[in-house]
Amino acid sequence: MKRNGPLALVFHALFLVFMLAPLLIVCIVAFTPEGYLSLPTRGPSLRWFRAIFDYPEFIRAFRDSLWLAALSSTIAIILAVPAALAIARYRFPGREAMTALFMSPLMVPHVVLGIAFLRFFTQIGLSGTFTGLVLSHVIVILPFALRLVLASSYGIDQRIEHAAVSLGAGTGTVFRRVTLPLILPGVVSGWLLAAINSFDEVTMTVFIASPQTTTLPVRMFLYIQDNIDPLIAAISACLIALTAVMLFALDRLFGLDRLFVGSGKG
Amino acid sequence: MSHLVLEGLGKSYGSVAAVDGLDLSVERGEFVSLLGPSGCGKTTTLQMIAGFATVDRGRILLDGQDLGHVPPSKRGLGIVFQSYALFPHMTVAENIAFGLEMRRIDKAEREKRTLDAMALVGLKGFSDRYPRRMSGGQQQRVALARALVIKPALLLLDEPLSNLDAKLREEMQGELRQIQRSVGTTTILVTHDQQEAMALSDRIVLMNHGRVEQIGAPDSVYGAPSTSFVAHFLGKTNVLTATGDGAGVIGIEALSLCLPAVPRGLVRIAVRPERLVFAAADAPGFQARIISCVFQGAHWLLGAESAAGKLTIIRHNDGAGVPAEGESVRLAFAAGDVSILPQDLSDGVAP
Ligand SMILES: Nc1ncnc2c1ncn2[C@@H]1O[C@H](COP(=O)(O)OP(=O)(O)O)[C@@H](O)[C@H]1O
Ligand SMILES: [Mg+2]
Repeated sequence: MKRNGPLALVFHALFLVFMLAPLLIVCIVAFTPEGYLSLPTRGPSLRWFRAIFDYPEFIRAFRDSLWLAALSSTIAIILAVPAALAIARYRFPGREAMTALFMSPLMVPHVVLGIAFLRFFTQIGLSGTFTGLVLSHVIVILPFALRLVLASSYGIDQRIEHAAVSLGAGTGTVFRRVTLPLILPGVVSGWLLAAINSFDEVTMTVFIASPQTTTLPVRMFLYIQDNIDPLIAAISACLIALTAVMLFALDRLFGLDRLFVGSGKG
Repeated sequence: MSHLVLEGLGKSYGSVAAVDGLDLSVERGEFVSLLGPSGCGKTTTLQMIAGFATVDRGRILLDGQDLGHVPPSKRGLGIVFQSYALFPHMTVAENIAFGLEMRRIDKAEREKRTLDAMALVGLKGFSDRYPRRMSGGQQQRVALARALVIKPALLLLDEPLSNLDAKLREEMQGELRQIQRSVGTTTILVTHDQQEAMALSDRIVLMNHGRVEQIGAPDSVYGAPSTSFVAHFLGKTNVLTATGDGAGVIGIEALSLCLPAVPRGLVRIAVRPERLVFAAADAPGFQARIISCVFQGAHWLLGAESAAGKLTIIRHNDGAGVPAEGESVRLAFAAGDVSILPQDLSDGVAP
């Protein structure tokens, strides 16, 4: 492999600092004892972490967000796998149109989607429901799931499946024992990316969520409109820690470079 | 009734006929090669037998049963692809046992047959290896064992050795032939490598543009090519212009040979380079001039010009020496070494 030149190293270092500095600041602020955002500070304190538990609506929003992310990304991946296999292997009329349709949520601004869904859900009686949230999230995260499953579907040698068929495997068995394991990296990374996008979504969700069913980011967004204290920083620090643990576990299980770059350990 | 019969088999992609009216009967235990240039329809033929390509015209009969409505998973054929197509997420043993598992064979029997198959292809002790940790030749053996372990009715091989380097390929050819003999499975090999087809097969099916050009044992097809395509595709050959008398004699200059049924006028004939001999000055023969001389160890490859056409001559290195470049020589060949080619010039290969 070619070594990076000094200029490239400096660029990479600056890039990392630029990416990580905000996260670091948030984590530091989370440990301040004051009732306002301040740096430098008098010394570490867990005051704001304890304060999270005084706000059950945050806990509930967190739980709902997790549920929403898990459910909508699972539905998205279940739709994405057959779609990707069909697009990758067959030439059929409407193939381009189908791809464009599945990818189209990427082109529409989320604000527009939010307003459209609000209007639409009110019409069909889904406004403010968890079902409505799931439905809208499935639609906006489907492109991410599809993209990654598609990438791994294009790569598989169909003769491997033919070999399985010739050995006596039926359609279902071929899918379960051969196709799915072959596209698994794409399925796992697609699911993950979809889940992260769902968990992260504010712009559209703000329009659709109701006080009863809302997501953590929306709850946080509404909170900082009236309050400026390190509570939000403490919640963010928890999310950062959670993400780090999750990524570490995934790396152990699958190897992140394999999931997202498609090479590495395998 | 032959084991496998292809009757007027045909398939088109758009307006192009990939396979065009192929007839072939294969006996039980026979090793038959489909040989021809790239794009002549060999793979398509194999895919139709396997059931992965639909049959547009004709029928495929296995033991007299029409395979038309038998799905590929129920045909019970063993297939080996050029790309090996192993299951990358399974170990060698899991790969080989897959077909047995699909047949619901119990575990003890499965393990025994897997080990036997591994021993057959010389892979003892590789059970827990993953394919990506193996060389191309080893992966090819796994693919062969995986196909053979189900005791297939037919073994279909699509260019199985062409990803291997020359030395390994030769080794595997010998082994493949010996394994096929020992298990006795009827085998169809697809290849574009004439040397491989001749080394392995009981019979060769020469294909061009989706059609059969000639079928026969390797030595008979080589010795008596029926078209100039076959003469050129299978080994080196010389196409010469002789004069026929319309009865039973052809001649080139002072050389005249008696043959059954000779057309009248100019006749295109094929003579293999190793069958051309040097004649004494007063013996029947024709004049040629040596224009190139290449030493190849066991033999010399000589290029020559004559009034009957350009020539290649193979001269064995028997210690007698060879004429030098520029020298004039007198050449001859025997009547048994002549193949008379169809006289139309439109069969794809210029003389
Ligand atoms: N899936 C396909 N779609 C269109 N044309 C094809 C397809 N498969 C094969 N062909 C065409 O059919 C002809 C025969 O191909 P093939 O059987 O693969 O030849 P071979 O194996 O002898 O090289 C070729 O002209 C090829 O371009
Ligand atoms: Mg081919």
